[in-house]
Amino acid sequence: MKNLTATARVAWYAIVSGANDYWAIFTLKSWIFGWCVRMISQVSFFALIGKLLQSDAQTQFFLIGNAVVVAAQAALFAMNMTTAERGNGTLSLLLASPSRPVVVFAARGVYVMADGVFSALLGLFILGPAFGLHFPFPRVLLVIPLTLLVGLSAYAFSTFLAGVIIKRRETTGLIVNSTYVTLMALCGVNVPVSFYPSWLAWISRCLPLTNGLEAIRDVVKGGAWSSVGAHAGAELLVLSVWLSLALATFGIFMRAGQRDGSLDYAS
Amino acid sequence: MRAFLAGARIQLSFFRAYPDALIPFFTAPMFSVIFQMIFKHAGRQDLTGYAAVAPVFIALWWMALFNSGWTITIERWNGTIEMLVAAPSSFAAVIFGRITTTTLAGVVSFGETWIVARLFGTTIHIEHGWAFLATIVVTLAAMAGTALAMASLFVLARNAVTFSNSASFPFYVLGGILVPVSLLPHWVRPISSIVFLSWSADLLRAGLRSTPIHDFGFRLGMVGFLGACGLGVGAWAMHVILRRVRGTGELGTT
Repeated sequence: MKNLTATARVAWYAIVSGANDYWAIFTLKSWIFGWCVRMISQVSFFALIGKLLQSDAQTQFFLIGNAVVVAAQAALFAMNMTTAERGNGTLSLLLASPSRPVVVFAARGVYVMADGVFSALLGLFILGPAFGLHFPFPRVLLVIPLTLLVGLSAYAFSTFLAGVIIKRRETTGLIVNSTYVTLMALCGVNVPVSFYPSWLAWISRCLPLTNGLEAIRDVVKGGAWSSVGAHAGAELLVLSVWLSLALATFGIFMRAGQRDGSLDYAS
Repeated sequence: MRAFLAGARIQLSFFRAYPDALIPFFTAPMFSVIFQMIFKHAGRQDLTGYAAVAPVFIALWWMALFNSGWTITIERWNGTIEMLVAAPSSFAAVIFGRITTTTLAGVVSFGETWIVARLFGTTIHIEHGWAFLATIVVTLAAMAGTALAMASLFVLARNAVTFSNSASFPFYVLGGILVPVSLLPHWVRPISSIVFLSWSADLLRAGLRSTPIHDFGFRLGMVGFLGACGLGVGAWAMHVILRRVRGTGELGTT
């Protein structure tokens, strides 16, 4: 119990510290006219492809997929926080402290993920009506926890990747950007999972986003509850696996870095 | 010219040292895969030319925005800008050498995205070779001019750095790099017409079609004109920056 309280306290401080970082980067004005405009444009960019294809069904497919992907994308951006610890010279202090670094890292970027989930929902509910998407009320409210589930799942995946690249800080930008575009390509965002060859569909189902996105599509188009539940359950399973992997391997990657001295101060 | 080439050489070294500079070479083929999948799934093989052109603009714009746009800012962060300005060679020539190298490197994405198209069983035919080539050359020049404007403006306006992180997709939409501007709402089209990407993307797509290209000279001229406007703004802003910081002695700190 004492350990649990201590871990919760460390996680809380990490969240507060990360949130303060975030508001140092963004003011309300730059969030609205910078990030928000970008996010709305990103979703519109893909939804407009449906207009090019002269298909309302495709437009709405792209719109839902590319709105929800914003939650996963932001969760991947959280990877930058991990390497920021190195850049700031605080990583070694963190290693020397008695708490587990993975707790700090897993909590440090939660606000980015939360912002991503909020942005995704904002994009979906602002642009949906503009592109003729009808939201069935009240079942559409289920989209909110499902988007959060997608965000958490991608965040667990992001934390795992953060451990993998902890020794290669200079590659963070490359990994973050390549990963999010790969998720856009492989997770049924712009084409249904059934379009992929079966081996790729299997990989797709093991990645965050794919199953949660299908659950969200089912909710919006009025699919069976059993299908919504199955997809949501699969996303929950994917989240658990990536989180377990992150918790199990983060320490190993860190210790490897400590052994070979690659976890330097502010490289 | 020597300063220009020195700038080009140092930029090539940066590519080797900082993998982030290579991000577009990884993301452009993936965007190409996404667009190819979309059109293949929709049974619209006639649009695969669009899918081959758009990722090139994404790569070039990324290069202009993040690699070139941050050129001067990073010189300041590294503490090297004072030496660069104090050196007898032209500061603008060195910066422009770096920006030109970055822009030219973006051409690699042409090859990448067209290889992806081949993997999807599509061959891209260029129906108007000279027009296509001329558009590429003028587009690259316009991109370099715009990048210089960004590099200077990011120094003049601190907030611009935050906004630079968000200036990708808004310009992809306004520039009609995948979906033509004619499909955008009417009120957006006047804004698009002052974004050189919109003229350039339309011309490159026209170069892939067998139908004649109308008003080619005027449209190409617009790409060049808007790029020259960017260059003019960039040169003016750089002049202002150098005059201001030399006067205040705050070259590395403003």
